[in-house]
Amino acid sequence: MRHDRQIRVLILASPLLVLILFVVYPVVNVLVTGLLYGPGSSLSEVLLSPVTQRVLTFTISQATASTILSVIIGLPAGFLLARLRFRGKSIVRAALIVPFVLPPIVVVVGFLRMFGSHGILDMAFMFLFQSDASVLDLASGVVGIVLAHAFYNVPLVTLMVSASLERLNPELEEAAELLGATTLQKWRYIVFPLIRPALLASAVLTYLFCFMSFPIVLALGQGAYSTIEVQIWSAFRFFDYGQASSLALIQLAITLILAYAYVRAGGRDGEQGRTASIRTIQFGELSGPSRVLVAVYVGVLVVLMAGPIAAIVYGAIYDPVQRVYTLDGFSNLLRSGTGGGLLPMINSVLYASLSTILAVLLGMPLAYAQLSRGRILAELSSMMTLLPLGISSITIAYGLMRAIAVPLGLSTNPWPLIVVAQTVIGLPFSARAIEISLRNIDPTLIEQADILGASRFQRLFFVELPLLAPGILVGGVFAFAMAIGEMSATLFIALPQNYTLAVAIYQYLRVRKFVEAGAAALVLVLVCLAAFLIIERVSGEDAGGAL
Amino acid sequence: MSEYPRRTDPRRVIIALVVVVGIIVAAFAFITWPRPKMYVYTYDSLLMWGNDSENIDNMVFGPFEQQYGVDVEIVRLNTDANGIVSRLVAEAENPRADVVIGIDNILILQDQARQVLEPFTPSNLDLVNTTLVELLDEEHYIVPFDFGIVTLIYSTDAMNVTTHPQLANLTFEDLAEPSMASTLVTENPHLSSPGLAFFLSEIAVYHGILDDDWREWWCSVRDYIDVQEGWSEAWAKWDSDPTRNMMVSYGTDPAYSAHYTGTAPDTAVALFSYNAESYAWLQIEGIGLVKNGPNPDLAKKFIEYCLTEAVQSHIALNQWMFPANLNVELPDVFDYAVHPDEVSPLNALLPATLIKSNLTSWLQEYDLIMTA
Repeated sequence: MRHDRQIRVLILASPLLVLILFVVYPVVNVLVTGLLYGPGSSLSEVLLSPVTQRVLTFTISQATASTILSVIIGLPAGFLLARLRFRGKSIVRAALIVPFVLPPIVVVVGFLRMFGSHGILDMAFMFLFQSDASVLDLASGVVGIVLAHAFYNVPLVTLMVSASLERLNPELEEAAELLGATTLQKWRYIVFPLIRPALLASAVLTYLFCFMSFPIVLALGQGAYSTIEVQIWSAFRFFDYGQASSLALIQLAITLILAYAYVRAGGRDGEQGRTASIRTIQFGELSGPSRVLVAVYVGVLVVLMAGPIAAIVYGAIYDPVQRVYTLDGFSNLLRSGTGGGLLPMINSVLYASLSTILAVLLGMPLAYAQLSRGRILAELSSMMTLLPLGISSITIAYGLMRAIAVPLGLSTNPWPLIVVAQTVIGLPFSARAIEISLRNIDPTLIEQADILGASRFQRLFFVELPLLAPGILVGGVFAFAMAIGEMSATLFIALPQNYTLAVAIYQYLRVRKFVEAGAAALVLVLVCLAAFLIIERVSGEDAGGAL
Repeated sequence: MSEYPRRTDPRRVIIALVVVVGIIVAAFAFITWPRPKMYVYTYDSLLMWGNDSENIDNMVFGPFEQQYGVDVEIVRLNTDANGIVSRLVAEAENPRADVVIGIDNILILQDQARQVLEPFTPSNLDLVNTTLVELLDEEHYIVPFDFGIVTLIYSTDAMNVTTHPQLANLTFEDLAEPSMASTLVTENPHLSSPGLAFFLSEIAVYHGILDDDWREWWCSVRDYIDVQEGWSEAWAKWDSDPTRNMMVSYGTDPAYSAHYTGTAPDTAVALFSYNAESYAWLQIEGIGLVKNGPNPDLAKKFIEYCLTEAVQSHIALNQWMFPANLNVELPDVFDYAVHPDEVSPLNALLPATLIKSNLTSWLQEYDLIMTA
C-alpha cells in the first residue's frame, strides 16, 4: 500500500514538477540574475522612475476600461445566447470562441482593415458624409487598444455567462413567478447570484489578459502607449535586464493577486439545474421594443465581432497592392521552401498537437490534485495552474532560452522548447475543463466500481476516463487553440525552420504580403472553428463553461 | 452476456499510443535535426528585397560553401539587430552562431553588443574605405558590410517642391508645422534602427547646429506625427494612407521605386538643410565575429569572403544599401538614389561617447514626451 501511495503522489506531483522545471525555474533564473547582476537599472530605480509609473498607470487604466467595455457588451449577449432559441445556435457559439484564440497580430490586421482610417467602416462614413478625408479612426491610440481588447474578451464574458445561465433551474423561475416576483426581483435574487461567479471570473480573466496585453498595444499604441509587458520587451531588447526583471516582478505581484481572485470567483455552489436546462424563448415571442433593442444590439455586436474577421477573409482573396482578386495566398500555403506556407503549417499542427497531448496528460493529474483532500496540494495546484497566465510570455520565453536551451545546446534547434511554451499556455485551460467534469462525476459510481472490486487502473480506464471524456475533449481543444495561436513566446524562440503559421503571418505582414497573411489567418480561424464545432457535436457541452 | 462489449487492455492502448507519438516525434526530430553547419545570425530582411529572394543565399554564399565544404545557414532571426544582440547575450555561455551581420554604428556603441563579439581585422579590409571602417568601429568588433543614409522620403504624387517649397531646404522647424507634421510617418526609436537614426538626427541638429533643447521639437509634433512599430509597418502606413505622404526611410528608396515601376520614381528624398549644407544620418551596418563561436577559423574566412565582390555585388539590388566594398559597380537605377557622399553626415555632430552615455536617458525623456 505504501508503494501505491508513493506512485499516487508522484503522478499527482508530476505536472507540478514540470511547471517548476519549465516555468518557475527559468523565470526565477532570469529574475534573480537580472535583479542581482543586471546589467541595467536597479529595482528601486525602476520603481521610482516616472516612466514606470506612467506605464503602470496606463496598464491599469486601459485594462479597467477594456474590462468594463467587454462586460457591458458581452453580458447581454450571454443572456441572449442562453435565453433565445434559434437555428444555428451551436455555430454561433463555436464562432464566438474564434476571436479568443486568434493570434493578436491577426486581430490587429483585421482591426485596422475594419476600423482604421480608410478601413471598411471609415469608407462607409466617408461615403455617407461625402467626405474625401478620413472621418473615423477607431483603430489607433487608446480607443483602438480598448476596442481590440473588447473584441478579444467579449466572447469570454458571453460564453462564461451563458454557460452558467443555462443551468438556471426553470422550476426556480416558475416558483418565483407564482409568488409574484417582479423582473427586477427575479434578476436580483435568482439570476444574479447564479451568474455572479461566472461574471466575476470572466471579468477577472479579461482584466488579466488586458493587463498582460502585448502585440495589440505595440501595434495600435503607435509608440505613445505601452503596457508593462511592452516595456519588458523593450528592456530585454535594450539589454536592460535589471529593468526587465524589476518590471516582470511588479507584473507578477499584480497578476498573482488577480489569479487568486479568479480561483476564488470560480468556486461554484448553490442550486443548479443540468446543462442547458434554462427556459428558452424564440425571437418572435419578444415584445416589439425588445425586438428593436435586440436587433440593434446584435447589429453592433456583429460589426464589432464579425467585422475584423470578415476583413481578414476579404484580405485573403484581395490583393490591395495589385488591386486584384487572387488565390495566391492559398497556393502559397501549399508551397515549400523559403517564404512558403507549407512548413509553417506542418509545424503549427505538429507543435500544437504535441502540446495538446502534453497539456491533457498534465492537466489530468493537475485537476485531480486540485480536488484532492490535502488542502495544501489543492491550493498549490490551483495557483500553479494559473501561473502561466500571470507571467509574461516574453519572460517565460527568455527564461526557457537562457536556462534550458542554451545549456542544452538547443538554441539552434529549439522546437522542443516551443512545444513546452505552448503546453504551458494551454495547461490552465485543459486543467480547468478537466477539473469541472471531474467535479461533476457522481461519487456513487466510483464507489460502485470499488465495491465491485475494480483495481485503481480499471477504475480509471473504465469508469473515470469515459466520464471525463467530454472535459478532456473541451480542454484539449482549448489547449490546441491556444497553442496554435500562440505568438509571443514562439516568435522569441523560433528559428526560420520552426516558424508556425502565427509567426509566418507576422512575417508576411512585415514584408507586405497581405494575401499570404490573410490566407494563413483564415486557415487558423477555420481550424479553430472546426475544433469548437466538434466539441459541440461530440460532447453536447458548450465550451464556455470550461473557461 | 453479449451486452458487455469486449474491452481492450488499456495497457495495450497506452503502449500503442506512445509508440505512434514516439515515431512521429522521432521522425520529425530526425528530419529537422541540424547537420553540422556554420550559423550566421542576422535580422529578418537581410538581402530579402530582390527579385529572387528565395535563392539569394545559395547564389551569394554557395561558392563559399563549395570552397570550404561547409553548410552555411543564414539564420534570419525574427527581429531586428537589437534582437540579435539580445539573443547572442542569452546564448553567451554556449554560443551557436559564428558570425553576425547587421549590427550598426549606433548599436555597436552598447557595451552588451561588444561583449558578445570578438574584434577581428579581415586581411582584405583594404577593400573598404578607411573612413567608413573608422566611423563604424575603430576597434574592429565589426567591420562595414553595407551603408546608406536615413532621411525623409515623400511621395511625389502628393507633394513636390512647387506645392511645398520647404522640401528643397527642409528644416526641423518646417517639419514641426502641423500641416507638415501630420503627413509624417516615422518608426519607434526603441524598436527600429531607422527610427533611432531619425531620433538621433533630430538631437544632432538641435545639439550641434541650433544649440537648442531637442525636446521642444518632439513636444510640438507629438500630436501630429504617426509613430509606427518598425520600418515595414511605417511603409505600409505611408503606402496606404493618402494623408501620410512623408516617411523616415532610406536615401535609396527612389532607386527602388524606379527599379520596380520601370519608370521615373514616384518617391523623392528630402534632406535636412542648414547653412546651405545638406544633412542626413549615415547608417553603417557591420559584420562581426561572435565571441567563443564554435568555428572561429571558418568564421574569419567567411567575414573576409563577405567583403569581396562575390557578396558585395548583390547588396545594391537585394538590400538596397550601398556596398561597403567601393570597387563594386552600382546598377544604373542607383543614379536616382542619394549617395552618402552627397550629404554631410549628422553623425559628425553627435560624438559617439555622447550617444553612448546619454542614449538611455534620451529615450526615457522621449517616452515621457510621447506618453504625456
